[in-house]
Amino acid sequence: MSTDPLLRVRDLRVSYPTPAGPAQVVHGVDLDLAPGERVALVGESGSGKSVTARAVLRLDPDARLSGRIELEGVDLLKLPPRRMREIRGGRVGLVFQDPLASLNPVMTIGRQVMQPLLIRGVPRKVARRRAVDLLERLGVRDAEHRADDYPHQFSGGMRQRVVIAIAVIAEPALLIADEPTTALDVRVQARVLELLRELADERGMSILLITHDLGIVAGFAQRAVVMRHGRPVETGTVEQIYTAPRDPYTKALLAAVPRIGGDVTRPLAVIGAAGEEKEGS
Amino acid sequence: MSATTTGIATGVAARIRHRVPFVEGAALAVAVVVVAMAAVGPLVAPHDPYAVNLTDALLPPSAEHWFGTDANGRDVLSRVLHGARVTLPATLVVIAASTVIGVLIGTVAALGGKVVDEVLMRITDIGLSLPAIILALGLSAALGPGLSSAVIALSVTWWPGYARLARTLVREVKDAEYVDAARVLGVPQGRLIFRHILPNALNTLYVQTTVDVGAVMLVISGLSFIGVGAQVPSAEWGAMIAGEANNLTNAWWAVAFPGLALLLTALAFNLVGDWLRVRNDPTIRREAR
Repeated sequence: MSTDPLLRVRDLRVSYPTPAGPAQVVHGVDLDLAPGERVALVGESGSGKSVTARAVLRLDPDARLSGRIELEGVDLLKLPPRRMREIRGGRVGLVFQDPLASLNPVMTIGRQVMQPLLIRGVPRKVARRRAVDLLERLGVRDAEHRADDYPHQFSGGMRQRVVIAIAVIAEPALLIADEPTTALDVRVQARVLELLRELADERGMSILLITHDLGIVAGFAQRAVVMRHGRPVETGTVEQIYTAPRDPYTKALLAAVPRIGGDVTRPLAVIGAAGEEKEGS
Repeated sequence: MSATTTGIATGVAARIRHRVPFVEGAALAVAVVVVAMAAVGPLVAPHDPYAVNLTDALLPPSAEHWFGTDANGRDVLSRVLHGARVTLPATLVVIAASTVIGVLIGTVAALGGKVVDEVLMRITDIGLSLPAIILALGLSAALGPGLSSAVIALSVTWWPGYARLARTLVREVKDAEYVDAARVLGVPQGRLIFRHILPNALNTLYVQTTVDVGAVMLVISGLSFIGVGAQVPSAEWGAMIAGEANNLTNAWWAVAFPGLALLLTALAFNLVGDWLRVRNDPTIRREAR
């Protein structure tokens, strides 16, 4: 990296206290994100990719974190809760997996999109204008009126646009997208990813995409980190990972992606040795 | 006033259009009539509800006295109209006071630490384990009989149910993903509680309070009937029934009309509570559209 990274994670370890002693789920992750860069964090369920992403924002009060998480040179692990709150939603936005569950059912769409601005002291009228413009930009038709609707009146794809609008309205430098398209059908998936990429380009925003789907990584990210059992097994440009994977796990993961014209009777590759699997994500 | 009336009229019409039982519309109408009675009753009452006229005692219903007269010759219709003014505000004070106390304690218990939760819920359990009417009976007897004693006693005994309910509802909502999402945005704690958690949690509680209007009304009138609530000359419905119960065999009207008012009002508020639930829940409202 020639420029200073926006996000620099060094030797991040995450453990959760259990009655049987602490259970470590992330064992030393290193991660760099340059400004404007799109990086994918790839892995199967339970690989620790979501925990890693949530740790960046210190979202789990129960999690014990160690290592360094530097955002724009500031170590987030040493910040007092007040400063941390300003970072969340301000410098770092988060898009959740399930667009319905992450919207408040009794608050209008407009108010929810405005909220990150309102709590930062932006006047109501200005906030409303920006919210409507952003919704319009994200392809919500007639946003002026639809802003007064409730979440249940929006379709799945439209809700995910709303969730993205909420995450980016305060113009964060980094957007963490945790499986943003898993709940959507394939065509809507493509459109949502395209919108995310356009937004990132327009605003010079970095994106950390958490996904288990290697199929969407190729067209979206520049670099990828493959995780397994809480450890990064391979890091590189997307091209390199697709064309010349070094780690056997990455190879197996790529072999598991279904292909048009592939032999559908061939059994899927078994990834990893038996007994090594762990539960939880 | 006219806007509300129109709104209610359209609401009732919509009910009928969607083939939802007509009962809810009728219940709303009754509830509105009772509230109107409490507001303007004394203005339309044909007689003074407290004027004793022993020569006209126990007259059956007639053109002059639609609901007849009681043992003291007082016009029963006028007294029933006045009664709405006594019973309804007393009921609403009890509901309001116990909702505030209950929601406060329930929310603090749900969001506070384990120790806070334990202490508050054990206190609530003690309150719940005593039957409200017995406790209220003892309390209003101790405070001295009177409507205000009954109101205080009932407020003190009614909140534990709300505290339990509010705690459960808040606990359910506080871990919802949208609350998490709001926290991620940096929404401060106070706003999180008042804008995200409580509005979603308390929807069910509102229904309970409306349903309880009927129950509380019955208990207040019950306490008055027993003699520890509103005292006999008062036009409180329970007290009216108590005062005339001896004449039930030869003058049914003096007991039946306040009783009917009580029954219809309690029933109406129960049904309106249910109707409000449907109206307040955006997800159900969509289906009703």
